[in-house]
Order: sequence, then structure tokens, then C-alpha cells
Amino acid sequence: MTSALDTFPVTQMPADGHYGPAGIHGVSVRVFDPPALALLAARRGGASALTVAAHATLGLALADAPRLARANGLGTIGAGPGRWLVLAEAPEDLTARLAPLAAHAAITEQTDGYVGFELSGVRTRDVLAKGVAVDLDPAAFPPGAAATTNVAHINVTFWREPGEERFVFLVARSYRVAFARFLIASGAEYGIAFAHRG
Amino acid sequence: MRIPCPYCGARDASEFAYLGDATLTRPDPAAPDADEAFHAYVYLRDNPAGAHSEWWYHSGGCRRWVKVARDTTSHAIAGAELAGGAR
Amino acid sequence: MSRLPSGGRVDRARPLSFRFDGKTYRGFAGDTLASALLANQVRLVGRSFKYHRPRGILSAGPEEPNALVELRSGDRREPNTRATVAELYDGLDAASQNRWPSLALDALSLNGLVAPFLGAGFYYKTFMWPAKFWESVYEPAIRRAAGLGRAAPGKDPDHYDKAHAFCDVLVIGAGPAGLMAALAAGRAGARVILADEDFLAGGRLNSDVARIGDEPSHAFAARTVAELASLPNVRIMTRTSVFGIYDGEYGAVERVSDHLATPAPFQPRQRLWKIAAKRAILCAGATERPIVFGGNDRPGVMLAGSARSYANRYGVAVGKSVAFFANNDSAWTSAFDMKVAGVNVTTLIDIRREVAPALAARAKALGIDVRTDTQVTGTTGQPFGGALTGLSIRTGGRNGRLAADTLAMSGGWSPSVHLTCHHGGKPVWQEDIAAFVPGRTPPGLSVAGAARGTYGLGDTLAEGARRGTEAAGDLGFAAALPDLPATEDTPAGITAFWHVQGSKGPAFVDQQNDVTAKDLGIAYKEGFRAVELMKRYTTLGMATDQGRTSNVNGLAIMAELTGASIMETGTTIFRPPYTPVSLGVLGGHHRGKDFRPTRLTPTHAWAAEQGAVFIETGPWLRAQYFPKAGETDWLTTVNREAKAVRASVGLIDVSTFGKIDLQGRDVGAFLDRVYINTFSTLAVGKARYGVMLREDGIVMDDGTTARLAPEHYVMTTTTANAAKVFQHLEFCLQVLWPELDVTLASVSEQWAQIAIAGPRARDVLARVVDTGVDVSNEGLPFMGAIERTVMGGVKARLFRLSFSGELGYEIAVPARYGEALARALMTAGEEFGITPYGIEALGVMRIEKGHVSGNELSGQTSAGDLGFGKMASTKKDYIGRVMAARPGLKDPDRPAFVGFKPVDKGQRLRAGAHFLTIGAPADMAHDEGYMTSVAHSPHLGHWIGLGLLKNGPARIGERVRAYDPVRGNDFEVEVCSPAFIDPNGERLRG
Ligand SMILES: [Zn+2]
Repeated sequence: MTSALDTFPVTQMPADGHYGPAGIHGVSVRVFDPPALALLAARRGGASALTVAAHATLGLALADAPRLARANGLGTIGAGPGRWLVLAEAPEDLTARLAPLAAHAAITEQTDGYVGFELSGVRTRDVLAKGVAVDLDPAAFPPGAAATTNVAHINVTFWREPGEERFVFLVARSYRVAFARFLIASGAEYGIAFAHRG
Repeated sequence: MRIPCPYCGARDASEFAYLGDATLTRPDPAAPDADEAFHAYVYLRDNPAGAHSEWWYHSGGCRRWVKVARDTTSHAIAGAELAGGAR
Repeated sequence: MSRLPSGGRVDRARPLSFRFDGKTYRGFAGDTLASALLANQVRLVGRSFKYHRPRGILSAGPEEPNALVELRSGDRREPNTRATVAELYDGLDAASQNRWPSLALDALSLNGLVAPFLGAGFYYKTFMWPAKFWESVYEPAIRRAAGLGRAAPGKDPDHYDKAHAFCDVLVIGAGPAGLMAALAAGRAGARVILADEDFLAGGRLNSDVARIGDEPSHAFAARTVAELASLPNVRIMTRTSVFGIYDGEYGAVERVSDHLATPAPFQPRQRLWKIAAKRAILCAGATERPIVFGGNDRPGVMLAGSARSYANRYGVAVGKSVAFFANNDSAWTSAFDMKVAGVNVTTLIDIRREVAPALAARAKALGIDVRTDTQVTGTTGQPFGGALTGLSIRTGGRNGRLAADTLAMSGGWSPSVHLTCHHGGKPVWQEDIAAFVPGRTPPGLSVAGAARGTYGLGDTLAEGARRGTEAAGDLGFAAALPDLPATEDTPAGITAFWHVQGSKGPAFVDQQNDVTAKDLGIAYKEGFRAVELMKRYTTLGMATDQGRTSNVNGLAIMAELTGASIMETGTTIFRPPYTPVSLGVLGGHHRGKDFRPTRLTPTHAWAAEQGAVFIETGPWLRAQYFPKAGETDWLTTVNREAKAVRASVGLIDVSTFGKIDLQGRDVGAFLDRVYINTFSTLAVGKARYGVMLREDGIVMDDGTTARLAPEHYVMTTTTANAAKVFQHLEFCLQVLWPELDVTLASVSEQWAQIAIAGPRARDVLARVVDTGVDVSNEGLPFMGAIERTVMGGVKARLFRLSFSGELGYEIAVPARYGEALARALMTAGEEFGITPYGIEALGVMRIEKGHVSGNELSGQTSAGDLGFGKMASTKKDYIGRVMAARPGLKDPDRPAFVGFKPVDKGQRLRAGAHFLTIGAPADMAHDEGYMTSVAHSPHLGHWIGLGLLKNGPARIGERVRAYDPVRGNDFEVEVCSPAFIDPNGERLRG
């Protein structure tokens, strides 16, 4: 790894702070615990019924594609055919809110399964290019586009937020330090601000 | 090699796990010749030079089994479809 | 000085200082190490691989076979760096290679005298000799004599990077064709990547002197590059070599910091690019060929186009009196250019009887002596250093001599077709230009310019523009052909010619691997005539330059010997990489502890606080054991931990097990089909141990699955097989039985899971569950599974399971609470002396209890082998059932699962020991199985083992021989039940 990480063992989250040449700020990373997260998986043959029910009862638009849609404080991210990750903007009992959909879908609590990494800054795509084998050009991956893929041997689900160069990654909890190391090793060249808070 | 997952889009082959021949059907275990049929199902494979229909599991993406039509001599992929239809 | 008074693309206002073999020289920004050495009249730069012959600079580009140096020093030392592409920087430090004691005086050049021993087929012939000769005599001598530079002594202090790029059109090479291709596609709006290995884009436009429109070619290049740089959809990547085509993706290496002494802070040295391009245009140009004649490897003999490049691009005169030797018109243009630039070009020697009158007239006007129908038959040089002083020539039948310190030669040009061959395309011989041109190209790749044998400047520009327009058009961009400027085209006549017959001294074909024309003759005589055989027998083209300057000459000479045509003779196959790629850049950041990602358990920080020693299990780091002060060896610690569990209570993080939630109407039916035993009948609130097979009848995995609700089960898998089992279940659901209503969700990361075990486990559990949660033997009986809350409202899954054989529970809480749960259990168990234990103690206890684990689930064992035969349902089908009934898997003689204890209780058992009937010889025919797992049992006070023994369960009480020649152990063990403790399970039901 780069000298940026020499003082941190692979078992420890790198400290908050700036990594890279002084005065250069290409990327900011904010690590967060998802307020509430669940997997919504359509039952056999039930994808269309689920889509209708989700819209009718919760106002959710479930796209049959790897995309993010937001409504009523919930973001839904297509994770596979008939499968969506549902992310709440504030802490709540998400499985309870989704319970009306239980006839059409399996609902699985995942709040603790993932850690979030929000990346922003002008060099974000340059950093991500070092691990993400998906074309992130705005024409190919516009705001709201999502993907589940492997980054530096770590499985992630991520999407592009509206606005300039902002991406959010959901990373399996046990890999959070490894993913942070990937980001810092890859981002130090461009100056990376790393923070757990907020 | 990039494999066109019908759900996720084109992805590097490293995101997929390979299984092989997708033309096989699991035999009827109750059939009188089940022994022979399972032997063929488990062990006997053609090794075609050219068009091949094969299973790839998109373990790094949508976790769907994808039936890929690949030319074994050129790695050209003619098409890909999800197993089991829409769920 | 050999620097011309003016001219060149070097920045004379930026002088640079550098060192070569300890001596300090000066050059300019824009120089390569080679151009700067030539400017300083350094002509001898290395010694050859086998014969230690003095060598100079042959070329001005990536094809260089001779001028290989060690660049930098200490741990940044990089051997085999081509001086011709090494960009000069201030303070550059380089050393020549393969010489001893010094470059000028090399003791081992005497190798030249034993050349016959090192000739064609040397390695094959030598390997035929007795092995002891090879090891004791030949190999040490060869290692001393042959070889290239030295690797750096320590760890590379720099780091390397990998990155992905995507584009519509990748243009490989930024010469005239590449610039026009990029311009056409870029103006049309396509996303273009233009990659060039050079640090200065423009290719031959910087090395030739030509006019394009109303400007010099280098100015045209600079202006075009500037326009491309201004287009937001075009990315120009200089110092970037595209080295391979891999099924639609292109591998490239960007030398981010190789032109610096040390990389800037946090900058990588090199970056590996994987470029996914919808179309690519190969504009890699062509490489000039030497002519094969005696003494053609002498310092001062170089390629004509390279000599021209040194004059025009670097402002360097390669010599004081320069003669040319050629079979084609391009060398004449080079000679004229150089003369005009101020180089003393004396003579033009051409093998052809006649050349175009215009060329002859121009030579005359410039005062260059022309010798047509003439061949160079030998070279003479200075003593020791060996640099060129004169030429032997033959005109018709007459021999003569010429003085020259430089010979610029040209045997014609070979298009750089390498990348077109990476998908199996075979180059095609084109007689009129005496060159191989691309055959079938990889999908999406087209070729323009000299790389496909188009040599005229105007044609090259037009072809590049056309290919760029086509590529963009194919992808739906409205592309217009750019205006093509007027050019003056130079003649390109050639008469194929390879080898001066009857010349004096060794005539080198491959200068890097020291392969001569005579070696090819030996290969021919000994029958190694097919090109692929010739290549391997002589090592022609197998050096780091991959035969860029030697392949075509070699096979042309073989064609002459066999009388076949060159097309019939064919070429060897070019495989990736096109250029050497460092292992460092292939690894990128994934080195040392970052070789692969590390997975941390939810309680990692807590375990570290407790002083745990960790061990890698797959990607996971797990607590192996928890040494206490004063415990000096692991066995003491593990014994203490295991005893504490059996005496009172202990806890261990088992979160690494795979955990899968299964929901739906058909989960029970589904589980019945994937497990050998039945789960549809499992009561809600209960768990059951299950074994699943592969379809071939071999055990895949085991674990417990619990029914939390009528349509909701949760499965656990072993740590190692978590991903494999999930994939298998998805295959069953998506491919085999899509009609089943079952959905899967991996919850391995969602739930932290901690096992507590020991007679006081219930007391501890009772203190962490919330008020009203009944964990009594009635409330949570053996194999119970309930969802409750712990620690004041935290959702929890409580399982009464045991791997250790003691009263045990597994408590799952959301992963964020995992560490808090560990602390709460420690507090709750304080009065019982609760002991954290690691996977070593867990392993000891599971062996004492006779449970199978990874060592037994080896991918070779059937359910019957492991004692699960009676578990298998006979009332249903399941994956693997039919194949498990094969005679081979039902054979009663198969090694089957039993326990072992040493007859001499002091003996230490070893996993891997093989079992033999006492008195039987120790050979494969008498092998009866092997020991799979061993442990020191603190409970029994001696070592115990589990293993697979032929007919094992029927042999309990018998003694067998445990034979372990690897560790030198051979003693008797007694066969016993695998359940060493509590065989009736009274403890765990208590
Ligand atoms: Zn997919």
C-alpha cells in the first residue's frame, strides 16, 4: 500500500483525516451506518404484484433495473431481478413499515449488514476507476444509476447521487476496513479527506 | 472478457463463477435408468470448439445464473439470458 | 560534441545532469538516455547476453535489443531498461549490465572463443548430459556468464496502481495515423483514448523532416495534439504502452513516474490500465530491420531510421562519418535528412543495382558517395571497446574497404502487427513491401498506417482519418472525414534482402539473445526447420525485445535454407504482453497484508483487547487463542481454554459461519431436496443438523438449519463454504426448480453470532436476555431456536446448539451489537470465570466430541464415509442421492470415520499419517486411510485423532500403524469411537 496507510494495520479503521499531498483535496469520504436497511425480494412470480403493492401502499417506485428511486424517506436500489435494497433516510423499524408487502415479498433486515461510504469531490471518478470496472461516465452512469459489483475483491452496491460527482457505496460490514484501505490507497494521490462522522 | 449480464450490463468475467454446459437437464431420479442418466449428467461433457451454451453465476452482481452463448474458440458472446425467467 | 548546433525537439534551455557507469554527463530535457549518451559520444553501452560482445545502441525506440541498462540504484534499481526509451531526468543514474570487471575490459568476452558450445540447441544438448554435471559445472558457469541485469536487493519502495477506463474508440499509437484517427473520432464526439508509449506524441512526425500543409511535420503533430487535448471527450495517455488484447479489453501500462528519480509523494510509479473499448485502431507504426552480415553487432552499427531520429528529434549526430547500407529507399531519405541536418554522411551503400534516378541525383547534389550493387561483408573496429572504424565491402566480385565510425543500415520495415495476433490472427506476407502485414484482426480492431504496411505520409494520414471516421460511424456518431493536408511523399522502393553471404565474422540475427545466421544453419541441419521449433531451438526472438528486430530476418534466412517462400515458412505467434510488464504493476496495491481484503468479525476489537492471537481462515481473521500472562506456548493456553469451557463456561465468536435466510411457501420442500435428511417436518422453533451433498454424491457442507416461522428458515453453513453453498442453492432455485416459492437472503453480515458453552452457559444466557425470556430447559430445549430480545430490547436469535459437546447456545444479534454482546456476556459470566476461547480450543473440543469439520469435508468423502449414512432419508430424492448409491461410494472397504488414540499415550499424533495393518509393508497397495484431525485432549490427557480408516467402524478396538514418513513418525494407534467424551450427549441435553 501507499505510505499513507503504513501506520494502520489491516485490522483497524484508518483514522479520520487528510491523506495525500498537503493542500490537495480531490475526494472526500464519509463513512456512515445506514439508518435502516432491508432487502425486499419478490416471491416466486410475484415481482409485478410487489411493484403494484409497493406503489399503492408505500408510494415506492420499484424499477426493474439497477437504479435508485426515492420516495417518502426511502430509497430503493435495484439489486437483482425482483430484488431491491430499501434504505431509510432516518432510523426506523423498516421491516415493520415494509410488512404490508409481506404477501408479495420476503423482507430481510439488513441494517447491520452494511456500512455506507459516501464519496464526493472532483477526483471521485479517478479514485473509483482504480477499483470499479463499470463505466462511470455520466452518459453511461447518470445520477440514480446503481450497480452491484466487486471493487478490489470486495462486493459492493453503489449508486450515483444527483449533483456533482457524488457516489454512495454499501459495503458488507466485515469488509469496511478493507474498503477504506482501498479508498485511501487509491485516493491519496488526489488528496482524500476521510471521516467517520456526520 | 466482459459478460453481458441481462440485468447488470456488461461486467468483467471475474465477477462470475463458471459452471459449464447449460444444455443439460437434471434427470428424473425415479426413472429406471437414473444411475446411467445421472452419470451422464454429472460427468459426460461435450467439448465443442465453437458455439457453447453455458452457465455463469453472477456472484459479484445480481446473483443470478446467466445462460451465456459463447464461442469457445474466440470467446465471442452471442447472447445471455437469465435462468428461470423473471421472478 | 556530437550534439548538432541546432534542431531537435529537445529543450536546450533545460540542461540535465546524469551518470552512466559512475561518470557524469549532460543532456537536455527531451532526451532519452540513449540520445544523451550518443550526444556524449558514448558508444559502448553493454555486453551481450551469451558472448559478452561489446554492444552499442542499435535503435531509437522500444525495439532496442542491446542498450539495456540498470536504471537507478538501491531498491529502485531496475534491470534491463532500454536506454532508447528511458526518458532523461536530472540525476538519472544508470549502469551497464553483464560486464565484469568493467564495460570496456570484460574478462568473460573470452566466451566468444567458446561460442560453439553456446550455439543453437545449447540448452537442450546440455540438459542431455548427466545431471550432476549440470548442477556442479555448467549451471554455475552459465549463471556467471550469461544473463542480464541484477534485480534490486530489497523491497520496491514505490507503489503501483491499477485502473479501469472505458471508451468508444481506443487509438493505439500517436503517430500520423493515430493522430488523424483520434481527430476524426474525437471531432465526431466519440469518447476517445489515444495511447502512446512515447513521452512525446507524434511518432515519426517528430523524427522525420517532412512538410504537412504549410508546416513542418513536428509542428503539425503538436498542433493536432493540442486540438485533441482541447476536446473533453478525448483522453491522451502518453508514456502508456498497450501491451495486450484480452477478449475485448486492452491491457496497458502507464509509466507515471519512470521519468522521475522518485515518484512525487503519493504518486504510483506505474499504473496498469484495463481499457474496455468498443472499437480500437492500431496505429503502432513499423520497426526497421537490420541486415545480417558479419560484425553487424559492432558498436556504431545502427538502424538508419534511428540514426535519422537522433538527428531530427534529438539534434544528435550519431557519428563523425556515417555510411549507409540498405536495400530500400527509406534509408536514402534518412541519409539526405541527416546530411541536411549537418551530419557527415559519406557513403550510401545499396545492394540494388539501380535506384530511382531522383535519389541518385539528390545524393550527388548533397555530395554523398553512392555504391550500388554493393554489400557490407565485415566490420573493423577499435581494440577493446570495439567501436566501428571501417567496413569491408564487396561490389560485384570486387572487395574494398571504407572508413566510417557509423553504419546506418536498413533492411526494410516490419509493420508492428503484434497486437493483431493476440486473438490468433496470423500475419500475411506482402511481397511488394517485403513485410508481414496484419491478417485477421481481433474483433473491433482495425489497423492504419505503417502498422498495416502503408508507408507514404499522405496515405498514412488519410488511412488514419478514414479508420477513425469508420470507427465512430460504426458506433452511431456522425463522423466527417477531416480535411487532409497536402504532403510530399517519399519513395518506398525495396528489394528483399536479408543476409550477406560469405561475410566475415559472426553475423547476428538476434542481438539480444546472441543468435547468429550460423545458428540458424545448425537448426536447419538438425531438422528444427519449422519456425516455432527454430525459435525454441536457437532462442531467436525469445529475449525481452521479443525479436522485434530479428524475427523476420530469422525466418527469411530459414526460408532461404529450406527453399520455401516466406509465407510458407510463416511467422511465430506473437502473444501478449507486447512489451515487458513489471510484476509490481500487475499486483497494484494488493501486496503484503493487502494482497487480499481482510474480513473482520464483529468482535475483533474486543478480542484484540483480550489479547487474542489471530489466525487467517480464508479472508477472515479469527481469534485463535487468548494467551494469559505467563502462558508461554499455545498448547498451554488452548488446554486452559478447553478445560474452562468443560468446567464452567466460555464464549467464542462464530459470526463467520455462513447464514442464509430462506423464506417462502416451499422452503421445507426445498430443504428436503438439498439436504440428505428431512426439514419439512421440522417444528417451528427447532433446529436440525443437516448434511448436503454435491450432485456427484460427495458431501458438500454441513450445518444447522432452524425454522423460525412456518415459511421462514435460517441456514448456517461452514465458514469456508458460505459462498459456495449460497451459489449452489441459487442454482437449485433458479435452474433446477424455478417453480419453488423460496427466496434467499444472505444474512451473514447482518448477524453477529456468539456461542457460549459449558455447564454454566444457561446461567450466563439468562443474565443477558430480557425480562420474561425463558431459557430454561423447557423454554429453550436442546436444538431449540427462538427469536427474542437481549440486552434491553436488542433483537436476537437464540439457538441451543453445541459444537463442543457441552450445554451450549448461539446468540445472534444485529452486527452492530456484536461487540456489546461479547462484553455483556463477559460481565454476566464473571462470577463463573467465563473464558473467551479461540478456534483452537473449539477444534480441540469438536475433536473430543467427534464432530466432522473442514478436514473431513474434504471433497472426497461421502455421507456414509463420515457416519451419516443413517441420516439419509430413503423417502425422498435429494441432490446427490442417485450418485451416492454408486458401487464405488457404497464399497464397505472405503475408509470411514473413526477415532484414534496412541497406544503409547506419550505419542503425539499427526494429521496426515497413513494407516497400515500392523505388519503390512508401507506402500500404496496397503494404504488403509489417513488421519484427518488431531488434538491434544486436556480432558483425556493425551493426543487424540479422527480419521478415515478402511472398514473403520468395524475395527474399533483394533490397533493399526500410523505411518508418517514426512515427519518420521511410525507408531501404533488404537481405533476407537470418534466420540471421546460424553458419547450419549448427556451434557448438551442437560
Ligand atoms: Zn448480473
